[in-house]
Amino acid sequence: MTTKRIIPCLDVKWGRVVKGVKFLNLRDEGDPAELASRYEEEGADELVFLDVTATVEGRGTLLESVKSAASVVSIPLTVGGGVRSVQDASSLFSAGADKVSLNTAAVENPNLVTQIAREFGSQAVVVAIDAKRSSSGWKVHVKSGSVATELDVVWWGTKVVQLGAGEILLTSIDRDGTREGYDVELTRAVTSSVNVPVIASGGAGKPEHILQVLTEGGADAALAAGMFHDGVTTVSAVKRFLLSYGVEVRP
Amino acid sequence: MRALVVNYGVGNLFSISSALRRKGLEVDIGTELTNSYDLLVFPGVGAFSAVSKFLNSRRDQLNELKESGSRFFGVCLGMQVMFQSGSEGGRSEGLGWLKGVVDKLVNSPKLPHIGWDRLIETKPSILIEGLEGKYFYFVHSYAAYDVDNDYVRGFSVYGVKFPAVVEKDSLVGTQFHPEKSGASGSLFLDNLMRWLKR
Repeated sequence: MTTKRIIPCLDVKWGRVVKGVKFLNLRDEGDPAELASRYEEEGADELVFLDVTATVEGRGTLLESVKSAASVVSIPLTVGGGVRSVQDASSLFSAGADKVSLNTAAVENPNLVTQIAREFGSQAVVVAIDAKRSSSGWKVHVKSGSVATELDVVWWGTKVVQLGAGEILLTSIDRDGTREGYDVELTRAVTSSVNVPVIASGGAGKPEHILQVLTEGGADAALAAGMFHDGVTTVSAVKRFLLSYGVEVRP
Repeated sequence: MRALVVNYGVGNLFSISSALRRKGLEVDIGTELTNSYDLLVFPGVGAFSAVSKFLNSRRDQLNELKESGSRFFGVCLGMQVMFQSGSEGGRSEGLGWLKGVVDKLVNSPKLPHIGWDRLIETKPSILIEGLEGKYFYFVHSYAAYDVDNDYVRGFSVYGVKFPAVVEKDSLVGTQFHPEKSGASGSLFLDNLMRWLKR
């Protein structure tokens, strides 16, 4: 069995790492390449780089930040934010991204998932799903969480796999930045419906939350941002904790 | 020493090139296959059918280089195309340099296989000295089957046991991505450099 992965997420805005609460009130957390390098040393299994404002402000992703991070780390790098075409994806791969993450564009143009998968392989295509609870299950939100759609999250998860996504990055908007723990129920609903790896995101505040989402939630990987940026805990401490509970991780 | 990272036209060539440069190689990225390189690298990006098509169109040239002693290093898909055939994106022919066929991973809980797994059952080789039991990063849905075990230098397991490192004369291949495997990947590349200078 493959080891569970711990993935720090760098939300990038104007070339700096930022962190907000429920996608709002962004604070400065540092230089992307510096943080990327620190996390690799701590034992991060992968890194996710999200240009959090790219869609809203209509900007392209920050290729320079990607390049400088990719040149200092030797673990996989997923980049998302503002990817709207095969050409956008191609530029990111050329800059050193191993996978691209599609969110709004996948909803607006599902065929894009297929096109990128066909050219670069499914393993290079992550579909990010931002989920928010409603009276009738979880609904997909787009444009950095600001716009609700009618799409049911579990249905959309199975759909994107058919389209060619090799991985799902599932974020609970309700939990994002709260440090109250992942939405385990949401994660379980998706992991039990798809046969590709799922990265759980949104709400990590302590190692126990990560243990819970990897075991009860069935997630293959746990993503966290603020908890690591602020030094509440470290990747290596989380891994020691998981190992003590018998969860296999790369030591 | 000089290496050419063969550019099939798609994907991330930046990481493998940077990793090889960090080991002291001068790296070009391109399609000019010549014997002026100490190492020709098939990177692990793209889809089997597209990449095998690209390489098969240069088959005679590649065979000639191989006969004249050029060394080759294939990563992931770049290793897979050295086998006889592959089934990704329709059945297509590989370079046929290694006995074996590339097919979908079976008995796997989830595909693609994405993540870190151990290198096991290693055989003595300069390439994998000190790497038994270490974790490497894999990202693939296909693996080599029906291979000749004589040239497998280490396996890994995901649903099935599959070759993770192969070495045959002037050819080396890894199913994992050394350029994405942190410290253990760096150790592998150190070994590759020793193999190259041998």
